[in-house]
Amino acid sequence: MEKSRRSLISREPLRSPSIRSPISTAGGGEDLVGTSSSSRGSSPQYESKEPSDSSTLVGTCPDMCPAKERVQRERLRDLAVFERLNGHPRKTSPSLAVKKFCRTLSSNEVCLSDIRPASVLQNTLQYLLSLVDTTGQPFEVVHDFVFDRTRSIRQDLSMQNIVNEQAIQMYEDMVRFHIISQQKLARHHRWAESSPLHHLNLEQLIKCLLSLYEIYEINRRTEFISRNETEFHSLYVLLHLGCKIPLMERSLSLRFRQLSSPILKSKELRFTRTVIRYFRMGDYKRFFDVVAAEASQLQLCLIEPFLNEVRAQAISCINHSGYKLQPYPLKRLSEVLMIKEQELESLCCECGLEIITDELGCKLLPAGQSSFRQPKAELQSYPLSRPEYSPRYQFCSLQIMNGVSFTFEQFSFSN
Amino acid sequence: MAMAYISMGEAHRRITDFLNRFSDAISSQDGASLKPLLAVSSNSPLLFSIADALNVFQDWGRLLKQAERESQQLGEILAPHLRCIQSHRIGRFVDAYVSFEKSANAFLQEFRNWETAWAVEAMYMVAHEIRVLAERADKELSSMGKNPEKLQGAGSFLMKVFGSLAGKGPKRVGALYVTCQLFKVYFKLGTVHLCRSVIRSIETAKIFDFEEFPSRDKVTYMYYTGRLELYNENFIVADQKLTYALVHCNSQYEANLRMILKYLIPVKLSVGILPKMWLLDKYNLTEYTNVVKALRSGDLRLLRQALQDHEDIFLRTGVYLVLEKLELQVYQRLVKKIYIIQKQKDPSKAHQIKLELIVKALTWLEVGMDIDEVECMMAILIYKNLMKGYFAHKSKVVVLSKQDPFPKLKGKPVSS
Repeated sequence: MEKSRRSLISREPLRSPSIRSPISTAGGGEDLVGTSSSSRGSSPQYESKEPSDSSTLVGTCPDMCPAKERVQRERLRDLAVFERLNGHPRKTSPSLAVKKFCRTLSSNEVCLSDIRPASVLQNTLQYLLSLVDTTGQPFEVVHDFVFDRTRSIRQDLSMQNIVNEQAIQMYEDMVRFHIISQQKLARHHRWAESSPLHHLNLEQLIKCLLSLYEIYEINRRTEFISRNETEFHSLYVLLHLGCKIPLMERSLSLRFRQLSSPILKSKELRFTRTVIRYFRMGDYKRFFDVVAAEASQLQLCLIEPFLNEVRAQAISCINHSGYKLQPYPLKRLSEVLMIKEQELESLCCECGLEIITDELGCKLLPAGQSSFRQPKAELQSYPLSRPEYSPRYQFCSLQIMNGVSFTFEQFSFSN
Repeated sequence: MAMAYISMGEAHRRITDFLNRFSDAISSQDGASLKPLLAVSSNSPLLFSIADALNVFQDWGRLLKQAERESQQLGEILAPHLRCIQSHRIGRFVDAYVSFEKSANAFLQEFRNWETAWAVEAMYMVAHEIRVLAERADKELSSMGKNPEKLQGAGSFLMKVFGSLAGKGPKRVGALYVTCQLFKVYFKLGTVHLCRSVIRSIETAKIFDFEEFPSRDKVTYMYYTGRLELYNENFIVADQKLTYALVHCNSQYEANLRMILKYLIPVKLSVGILPKMWLLDKYNLTEYTNVVKALRSGDLRLLRQALQDHEDIFLRTGVYLVLEKLELQVYQRLVKKIYIIQKQKDPSKAHQIKLELIVKALTWLEVGMDIDEVECMMAILIYKNLMKGYFAHKSKVVVLSKQDPFPKLKGKPVSS
């Protein structure tokens, strides 16, 4: 009965339709997350690439934005703040204008001078990502611009069927952008989980990841395997932590059926599976230990929104199961839950629980309080705070290094 | 089977014979006779012999003209069908699929017009064939480095068939069979979420009465939907559905029983019901043996070992995460054992267990956990009602309730 699963390490050149996203449609299309039966005819983003395929387009646009579009948008005053020359709403330049994402585009209508070739796309992407940390604009504005323009990059990549190592690198960088954005939006926004920006960003993150997985697959044929592949696979799995993925897809068991054995047994997937196990069991002690010990920057960005959930669960558990006459020392609990003691006190308060102080001035959490409630959804995420190590993981940032790839640096804020 | 040499006359005879059988079956509304003529993937001697004949009598298109004179639609069904038979015989599965799909679509058009349910059995065959031929075609495409998209196409066709059966007439009894074919397609493609819309139709549409469907289809349906409930960890519903499938499955089909049990066992384990060892042996489900043993004895190491030993099977069937969760029940059993031993030594103090003791027991089992981790685990067990009592942080003990300190699950899953 059981079909032979498509092995990702088979020597046969393979395409795995099972990792095709039900959300994405051909040509960088625009289905919303959660749309039902939208994908009956969905095909993967990338068709089989034959070297002598004469139908593959190669763009000739030398600038980040085709000249035609530049002129048109200047005339219509449709320039983003980053594209304005000296702030002028009607003037831009080749070094500032970036091609916009166009929803209604079809391959038949475009001319080659409107499509940017791979090298231009790469430079465009680097430029866009450099904006993320260096401009004075509020993050939402930057995010909105980079979000749209990177979508256009993916559109150009898709139309030219670029699926090589370069494409992998670009997709990986775009995924990183969306993940960092998740973190920044979560920290800045009051109503993090339900904000439309957050939701749209998540949607694009998922699309990027799923396209990336297809490209990994295609490259496997020529035996190029990105060294980041297993980490990037772990990211989509981590998204199952909060059940953000549309209803039927929520099943992690189904996702695991689609992944090959080497990927499931990789270090990053084992870590992810362990984290999820502790999360599901409510094992707060080991959850924080393993996250602190093994999470990569990107993984931590995705896990961070759930830290409060685990902490609230831990507080609820201790309140329920602890001995009334032996209240739990807050200091110790803050170490276990990797949160600053002050923040823990706030969290307990948000959960409707009282903190008492003993004769030595130590704060304690008494058990058996009947007033526990779940904290409000809008509560800001308290990051991971490891008392033994002084540098705290604050914001991750994107920076250009060697002009080729991106690395991260964490920098702490002063309190 | 090697291609036999036959004379032109013989070839001519065979082909006309086939065409006559086909058109007679339709005109006399004889579904049972039509069915075997459609079974391309089965490699039946009949179809092999037709394929040989088609190869010899290359100009067979001419013979179709006669059939077409009777009905143009018949010609539209038969011409691609014969091409399919021919292609399939020589292993050109993509061509075979493409032809079959054409034929099937023409057949469906006619099917819509037939008011009684006479052709439903034949339609079952078409539904079955299109899926199997699509799978073979996709295999061929993959091996050529091309995108395997035929099975998805078969899925679209099956949805159309479903649509033709989802009406008030007698044909609706076939809807469940087609649903099961769709399940097989979606499971294979990994697009399991697409099952949702057909399930909704079957379970909520007023035209369908579940009891009217053939028993065999009900079993298959419950098997697949039971699995889906398992994947979504709705254990009580999964139990109901898979148990239905088990109970109603013909006991002759041991392979099917095994398949159902493969998924039912993790469900039962999750609600605290352990199978007997002979059941695992009888149906060769020995991958669960150590899992069950670990639950009985509270041996955490054994559970982890079992998960590791059979990791691939469990991941592939999708039960790994469910089995992983059983750890909580194993912890419960372990603490219970310690409690029982303490009770034998000193009944008055048995309900107080030092956390250190549990750490020691785990160390003995080669599972390293420090006292904070054990405290956390005790807190969780109490929180989830696997243990009754409380833990005292300062004294580093867990104090169990004197009454029923280790409540059984009794058919309900561990509370989350």
